[in-house]
Amino acid sequence: MNRAFNDRESQKILDIIKNFARKNSLFILAYGTGCGAIEIPPTITSRYDAERFGIRGAATPRQADVLLITGYLSVKTLKRVIRAYEQMQDPKYVMGFGSCTINGGMYWDSYNTIKQLDKYIPVDVYINGCMPRPEAVIAGFVKLQQLIQQGKALGWKHYKENLEWYRQNQQKVIKNWRMPDYNW
Amino acid sequence: MADLQKENLLLEVLKNHFNDKIFDLKVQRHQRVHLRTTTEQIEAVLLYLKEKLGYKHLSHISCVDWIEENRFELVYILWHPEDKINVLVKVDVDRLNPVAPNIDYIWPQANTYEREMREMFGIQFPGLVGRKELILEDWDDLPPMRRDFDTLQYVMENFEFRSGREDAQNVRETIAKRTGEEIPEFAKKYSR
Repeated sequence: MNRAFNDRESQKILDIIKNFARKNSLFILAYGTGCGAIEIPPTITSRYDAERFGIRGAATPRQADVLLITGYLSVKTLKRVIRAYEQMQDPKYVMGFGSCTINGGMYWDSYNTIKQLDKYIPVDVYINGCMPRPEAVIAGFVKLQQLIQQGKALGWKHYKENLEWYRQNQQKVIKNWRMPDYNW
Repeated sequence: MADLQKENLLLEVLKNHFNDKIFDLKVQRHQRVHLRTTTEQIEAVLLYLKEKLGYKHLSHISCVDWIEENRFELVYILWHPEDKINVLVKVDVDRLNPVAPNIDYIWPQANTYEREMREMFGIQFPGLVGRKELILEDWDDLPPMRRDFDTLQYVMENFEFRSGREDAQNVRETIAKRTGEEIPEFAKKYSR
């Protein structure tokens, strides 16, 4: 049985099935930073009803697939985000909301917020706007689903492979580094 | 025009009780009385206002950094629920050695405000109980709300930007140029 699925062709078929399942059951971690968290309730409730795309909430990092960084991220919160992200099970995806996560946004000269989210954790999809409305959020999720289907949403692999680079950036802003090491 | 009878009465009472220990007494407007005192007298003034005159609610303590005059100004905002009057009690604190009396035995909620000022302005309150960190974490620079803390320089040293921000304009300068307003020298240095 194992041998039968080991060749490349059947692996491809298996990947298609896996990715199909993954993209249609995206559980988002119930976690919000900044102003964008207020866009999540209308997105997942009856008006915009994100559950028709298979998107719903998950209570803990270990049950979740998607981590939403919904707006500005202070250095203090970044510490918690890194811990939550590292506890999530593979495969995991990150979406950055709004201009703040892309390039600082209106908090560009704030001493306490990070400017580029993808220097600290890998980001699969960015949604621009300040803040993005639920339509844009859903468009972002559809984009993420396309990337998963094509097998291109590989931020979690990238994070493992370039862990040193990410750690270096994280430790540059988090001065007192008291974080557990995960061996995944 | 509302009559300022209650406000003027309060001024009289305070003037008679404290004489020259408080100064700059004035009725700023309807329901707002302003006075100034010293760090030695502040506890007596606040206790008198609370216990005798019924200003039992401390709305806020705020801090203003007057860097040009080398002082911090603490503003205690009290509220009388029956008379509906705000009293603003202002105290000057030396900027180089900022020490102010701890008043959280008068109002327990002052503890939070004082811890915040200790963290954000570096003002010391002798006898203040509570962890050193309230909002910030692992902060080892100047207290960030002081005006001589240069936020932009800190950001440029600790963070990097993607390209695409080069054509962003300084809003203050742009508006000043358009209206022909002149930005004073100190404002150029300490605010953007």
